[in-house]
Amino acid sequence: MEKSLFRYIWTHSKRDQMIICAVVLASLPFYFMSLDLPRQIVNQAIQGEAFRDGNATAPLLKLAFDWPEWLGGGKWEIFEGFQVGRVGLLMGLSFVFLFFVIVNGAFKYWINVSKGVLGERMLRRMRFDLFAMVLRFTPNALRTVKSSETATIIKDEVEPIGGFIGDAFITPVFLGTQAITALVFIMVQNAWLGLIALAVIAVQFTIIPRLRRELLRLGKQRQLASRQLAGRIAEVLDGIEVVHVHNAYGWERAEIGHRLFSLFTIRLQIYNRKFFVKTLNNFLAQLTPFFFYAIGGYFALRGTLDIGQLVAVIAAYRELPPPLKELIDWDQQRLDVQVKYDQVTQHFAEERLGPMLEAREAEEADQPLVGSFVGEDIRVAGPHGDLIIEGGAFTVELPSSVALISNGGAAASMLARILARRSLEFSGRIRIGERDLTQLPASVTGRRIAYAGVDPILFPGSIRDNLVYGLRSKPLGRLKEDRQEMDRRIAEALRTGNPVESISDQWVDYERIGAKDENDLDRILLDLLDRVGMGDTIYLFGLAGRIDPERHTSLAERLVEARHRLRKTFQSNGMADLVEPFDPARYNSQATIAENLLFGVPISDEFRGRNLADNAQFRSAIDRAEMTDDFVQMGLQIAETMTEIFEGLPPGHSLFEQFSFIGADELTEFEAILRRRGRGEGSLRREDRTRLLSLPLAYIESRHRLGLLDDAMTGRIVEARGIVHEVLEKAGSGGVEFYDPEGICAAAPLRDNLLFGRVSYQVANARARVAEAVAAVVRELDLQEEVERVGLEYQVGTAGRLLSPQERASINLVRCLVKRPDILVIDGALAPFDEASSQQLIQLLLELFDQQSLFMVLPNDRQAGAFDVQMRFRDGQIITDKTAAPAPRASSPEPDAPQRIAGEVA
Amino acid sequence: MTLETEVQSLRQVPMFRDVDPARLKLLAFTSERVQFAGGQRFFSQGDPSDTAYVILEGRANVLLNTPGGEIQVAELGSNALVGEMGILSDTPRSATIMAAEPTTALRIDKRVFLELLAQFPQMSLAIMRELAKRLERTNAQLVAQASS
Repeated sequence: MEKSLFRYIWTHSKRDQMIICAVVLASLPFYFMSLDLPRQIVNQAIQGEAFRDGNATAPLLKLAFDWPEWLGGGKWEIFEGFQVGRVGLLMGLSFVFLFFVIVNGAFKYWINVSKGVLGERMLRRMRFDLFAMVLRFTPNALRTVKSSETATIIKDEVEPIGGFIGDAFITPVFLGTQAITALVFIMVQNAWLGLIALAVIAVQFTIIPRLRRELLRLGKQRQLASRQLAGRIAEVLDGIEVVHVHNAYGWERAEIGHRLFSLFTIRLQIYNRKFFVKTLNNFLAQLTPFFFYAIGGYFALRGTLDIGQLVAVIAAYRELPPPLKELIDWDQQRLDVQVKYDQVTQHFAEERLGPMLEAREAEEADQPLVGSFVGEDIRVAGPHGDLIIEGGAFTVELPSSVALISNGGAAASMLARILARRSLEFSGRIRIGERDLTQLPASVTGRRIAYAGVDPILFPGSIRDNLVYGLRSKPLGRLKEDRQEMDRRIAEALRTGNPVESISDQWVDYERIGAKDENDLDRILLDLLDRVGMGDTIYLFGLAGRIDPERHTSLAERLVEARHRLRKTFQSNGMADLVEPFDPARYNSQATIAENLLFGVPISDEFRGRNLADNAQFRSAIDRAEMTDDFVQMGLQIAETMTEIFEGLPPGHSLFEQFSFIGADELTEFEAILRRRGRGEGSLRREDRTRLLSLPLAYIESRHRLGLLDDAMTGRIVEARGIVHEVLEKAGSGGVEFYDPEGICAAAPLRDNLLFGRVSYQVANARARVAEAVAAVVRELDLQEEVERVGLEYQVGTAGRLLSPQERASINLVRCLVKRPDILVIDGALAPFDEASSQQLIQLLLELFDQQSLFMVLPNDRQAGAFDVQMRFRDGQIITDKTAAPAPRASSPEPDAPQRIAGEVA
Repeated sequence: MTLETEVQSLRQVPMFRDVDPARLKLLAFTSERVQFAGGQRFFSQGDPSDTAYVILEGRANVLLNTPGGEIQVAELGSNALVGEMGILSDTPRSATIMAAEPTTALRIDKRVFLELLAQFPQMSLAIMRELAKRLERTNAQLVAQASS
């Protein structure tokens, strides 16, 4: 990035800056006209100067020039004007004034918008440039760069710079011209007074910036301190577990408190300094009139200066301060922003960045990475300067499988990282065929080499998004998008140095991995996930997932069929009592009262949980059904029982969370409600009623067994169901998606759509048996793949935290496998698995990479026999052994076809 | 059948006889009522002990594995508590329990049961008293056997 902010701005926006400058200059005559017109209106029209010579009419809009004397003098009349009367002139001039007001307003509007847009474009460019540099950080720099600080820089610190850019050139030009005009005017009136004014201004412009230098130093400190504060907060949050484990709250609180104190101290100094400078500046500005009065007055008394001139000079000087003050402010802002910019560029200093990433690299170099793989004289230094590998050499014919057997040190892992091009910190040569490994372009290595390390890095998004991440190197096809919108998007991208590719284009390279389309890709992904042992998990994710009838059309069509089939299976196997189906005409005793009333799934939050009791539409419906009082009564009974049986348990006890209708913190409030009622205070308050009403909504008769519902009551609830539907449909809020026995409920999870009912709480072992039956029907109807495809949409959460370590590792592995790299390097990616599973996975990898190369770091010899080549590390040397007769790769006992566990269905 | 009737059943169990009614209600509320078909097993010998049951309705057989197959050693009826020794001593099931006819039982979760004992000493005392009585009975039986 440019060292100087102004050069950066000028390089990327000179055209826009000049256009805006030109418009500003073009607007000046109009501005002066509008200043001059009031005088004309008063003098010519109202005081009647134009009619002084007894003229009945005067010209309006007369356009004429007086040629200067040295051009021969004379008059050039462009337009002689309309002859109008006194009122006509007044009205005419007033309308001309109005016209100029509008024109000035229009200019101002255009200039402001253009300046704003210019600033925003530059901000976009700067942010993108910075982000592009983030991608270029060298591994060395990444050890010290903090992610949260970098994010703060790109998000917050460049923001004021963007705001300044619009004013960077225009303001000094505009204000400078104004100030110079006023100064020249004073000079013309009286050279001495002009020189005095100039001298004071010169003092102002030299002393003030000097005083501000300290201010800038403090500003720099403040910026760094606040950036570090942001970084520290993020660090604490990331490592919050350690804080909890070691009870380090006090220390962390003190740490942040100390930082805030130093930040405050810096800011205090800034304020003191800033207002001192401001005061001094104001004093200097007032010093000039003092000289004018004293010296000018003295000259006037002596008769060397006439009083009219003095008054004119003082008047002109009054015009001087506003532009001057703004100019000084601008200068302050400039320095401020320059400091910020310097800080930003220092963070992205050239020595911290790797070489530029070439957007389009030569394609012809893209040959399979096979042939003799030779390393010569490899030296790798450890973090303390010791040599980990010292003059190591190896020769391997690729493709083959290579076990890098660790000697307990870092050597095996280090070499693995070098081979995967993760580290370039070594000396020596590594060649594949004729090509130097370090010289391969990123497009080739990204495609042909894969690396799975200890840390499975996942991005938030679906499992599928994470799996295909390695296939998204460049867009291959354009998705149809609105032509006009696309042109606009691309034009903006070009203007701001941003990429023109859209993320909605087709980025995934199906052909490369032998897939025809999206569905085919899903099949490949599922197959690989199944083989690494994640098939069951994906199936369960699928059952818990929601289906989009538009995306999963075939599944949606067959889901209702599967639902009926499942019902028949239950009936024919004597399992009918295991699941109570949703029936529009019957009460479901395994579901909550709320679910029975809504007979559907809430979509918006205002229909969920406790909010339902407060929902106006729902309340009016149950009012109409005349059930509100019954529910409040039930609420009272529940509250009584709960306060009785949970009394004496300490707040926060796990039993509360698991079983109670009432949270521990609410218990006292409900006790208060009951006491108020017990004292016979008559009818309950409105908010008490709402609170009580919320209790029975979560009540499930067969689970909670408080005996609150009888047949008459359930019958009334089913009747009320119709009223609730009617009211909600009339309101058209769309907050609830209703159950339909012959349709899909997109808001409900897939398994609820399959079961279309609730598993009985009363039948022993019902859940496991239902899950088995569901799995059987899914298999029978060949829906397993479809269900698993829904499972691919499971969200992994921030850094994959919603997954277990094994699941994260599996996804990391499949992400590498699906790319079909020529060389796969694995270093600790199997760590989360137990011995048996990791052994199975190694066998699987060897099978899958029969035709490609596999480099794997192994902790010991135990598994190494199955690899073609074993590399050992001793005394800084690399010792390569070929397995004499490599065990045929398929000899390993075929792991049993994974038995599908049916899992929990609830 | 509601919570109240379950509490009545729990009161019939010697081990819970002296426990405060509100606590019994909590125990019943945090337990599940489950139905077993005739021939369905509550649990099998050797399974990990994670629950205890109180039979509310119906009958269940106690079966022991022997080299000659399973043999029935006892029959349990209403208000019988079964499986409590396993969750207290943290040992695997010492016998198989199988419903002899359609049976309803209250299923008490081990974790919840131990939570309640930890929380309410009075409940622990009641349990201890019952265990001590059982031990005394066993001792008396041993004495009787030895002397006969």
